[in-house]
Amino acid sequence: MESFVVRYRNLLVLLVLLVAQILGLAMQVRRASSGQADGGGVRLIRLWANGIVSPPERILHSTGSGVSWIWNNYFDLRHVRQQNADLQKTVDRLRLEQAALLEDAKQGQRLQALLNFQQKYIYKTVAAQVIGSSGTDQSRVFYIDKGKSDGVDRDMAVITPDGIVGKIRDVFGHTAQVLAINDQSSGAGVIMESTRIRGILRGNASGQLQIVDVIRDQRIKPGEKVLTAGGDQIFPRGLPVGIVDRVVNDPERDGFVDVVLKSAAHLDQLDEVLVITVTEPRFPPDQQQDMAASEALKSAEAEQQKTSDGMAEKLPGLLEPNLPTDQQPLNDTSNPNPVSKPPLAIHPDRFTPGNAVTPNVQGAPDGSQSPGAGSSESTLKKPLPPKSSTSEPHSTPETKPAKPSTPQGENR
Amino acid sequence: MSVLSAEARREFEIHRYPVLVYALVPVLAVVLQAWLPRLLGRFAWFDLPLVVTVFFALSRRNPIQGSILGGVLGIFEDALTGHAIGINGIAKTLVGYLAASIGILVNVENHAIRLFLTFVLSLVGSATYFFVVRFLLGLSLDTDWPMELYKAFGNSLIALVLFPLLDRAKMRD
Repeated sequence: MESFVVRYRNLLVLLVLLVAQILGLAMQVRRASSGQADGGGVRLIRLWANGIVSPPERILHSTGSGVSWIWNNYFDLRHVRQQNADLQKTVDRLRLEQAALLEDAKQGQRLQALLNFQQKYIYKTVAAQVIGSSGTDQSRVFYIDKGKSDGVDRDMAVITPDGIVGKIRDVFGHTAQVLAINDQSSGAGVIMESTRIRGILRGNASGQLQIVDVIRDQRIKPGEKVLTAGGDQIFPRGLPVGIVDRVVNDPERDGFVDVVLKSAAHLDQLDEVLVITVTEPRFPPDQQQDMAASEALKSAEAEQQKTSDGMAEKLPGLLEPNLPTDQQPLNDTSNPNPVSKPPLAIHPDRFTPGNAVTPNVQGAPDGSQSPGAGSSESTLKKPLPPKSSTSEPHSTPETKPAKPSTPQGENR
Repeated sequence: MSVLSAEARREFEIHRYPVLVYALVPVLAVVLQAWLPRLLGRFAWFDLPLVVTVFFALSRRNPIQGSILGGVLGIFEDALTGHAIGINGIAKTLVGYLAASIGILVNVENHAIRLFLTFVLSLVGSATYFFVVRFLLGLSLDTDWPMELYKAFGNSLIALVLFPLLDRAKMRD
């Protein structure tokens, strides 16, 4: 027996170990199936395993974190300086691009607004960009990129959708010089919107707009809109000029004031402007259609009027200016085709035609003083003559007097 | 020329290591096995306790020691998994026994044989594990044999590096 154990010692130990573990498994499975927690031995094994493994794991974790930190913050930063320089260059380039894009976007918005205004504006305009200035504060002129080749000419008005800007002073091939309205040498006829006070707009020494030589008027208040008057042959009427900022006394003339304005157009931030090249009104197609229809209607009416006048000249009139009232064709009872009378009122009152016009007429027995009233009264009191009843049906006064006039003419 | 008996040859070829190696290497294997999968995720194709079991079983050429070492490491693994304790224990007990038993018969100094044994014993361990789970415990388990092959291959690669390193800690007479 002893030799058997010694001989198969290894195998026996293996069997013991396997059987022990299988039994342990069976017990655990049985406890688990019955809903019980792990036994004390199993929990103890788990505790030992956890106690043995956890501290080194924690050390490894912290060491790994430290190594990771060293790697990330030292070894991995070898090329960071170069990357930083490259990124800085990229940031600079992107900032420049962003600024350019922003400028393009703003310009696009301005041009869009300008285009909208240009399309709606009734005068033909040419859009131009401001390309330069005089370079001094004393001279408020600037240059635009449109010139004679674009149809620009001297004394053309330069405007923006906000208001007037100035006028063309000199024209070159592809550029033009614009005299701004706030220059001291410029001038424009203006009118205040509500008070309708007219004046001449000039620029003062500080580059502000002012209406000069205005008779003192209490109605002129700050905030009032000022428009172009249209009398200077440069700026069309009704364009915005600015709003009244303040009223100052004219130091040289008593009783006169200078009205200082805030310009409607941003004269110091001009980028795009419009030059009015043709002052003939230019209407949209639908308006042109309406106008054509209106013209056609008007000409047809004129033609009709002309025809009517021609016929009236050919036909005798109802009233003969050379005859007295009682001998007028309308009152001629001998007329075989008398003019038809309005129907008689059943209950005449003072509103009945002929009754309330004048008391005298109403009191007249035969009504002979008033042709209309007299005829009404006579028609009311007397039956209509047989001729009248047998004559043609009622006819209009405009067409029928032609027949009665003929006998009268014959009578003459 | 004297001929050594099998017992004498086994005694002669038994490798001995410092106690610290016996203590630390298995613990480190279990610790790394619990820690590295957190970093590698599903690419943790290795079983360090099994590799250590195979190494010590082959080196010591003692089936009893190999069985006990494998059993203890397996039980530690089971204790950390939260599953029933003994599944990996049984598998690694068997692996330790087989490794030590084979180590008596073949020349384990050859690296190729060591790698081949590690590969085969890894598959044996996986098969044992599935057997215990499916047939002893009656639990359902998806058997992903390609993954087990990868794991066996990974164990062989680790053994290729680890075994020479541990051989350096061998005590010389």
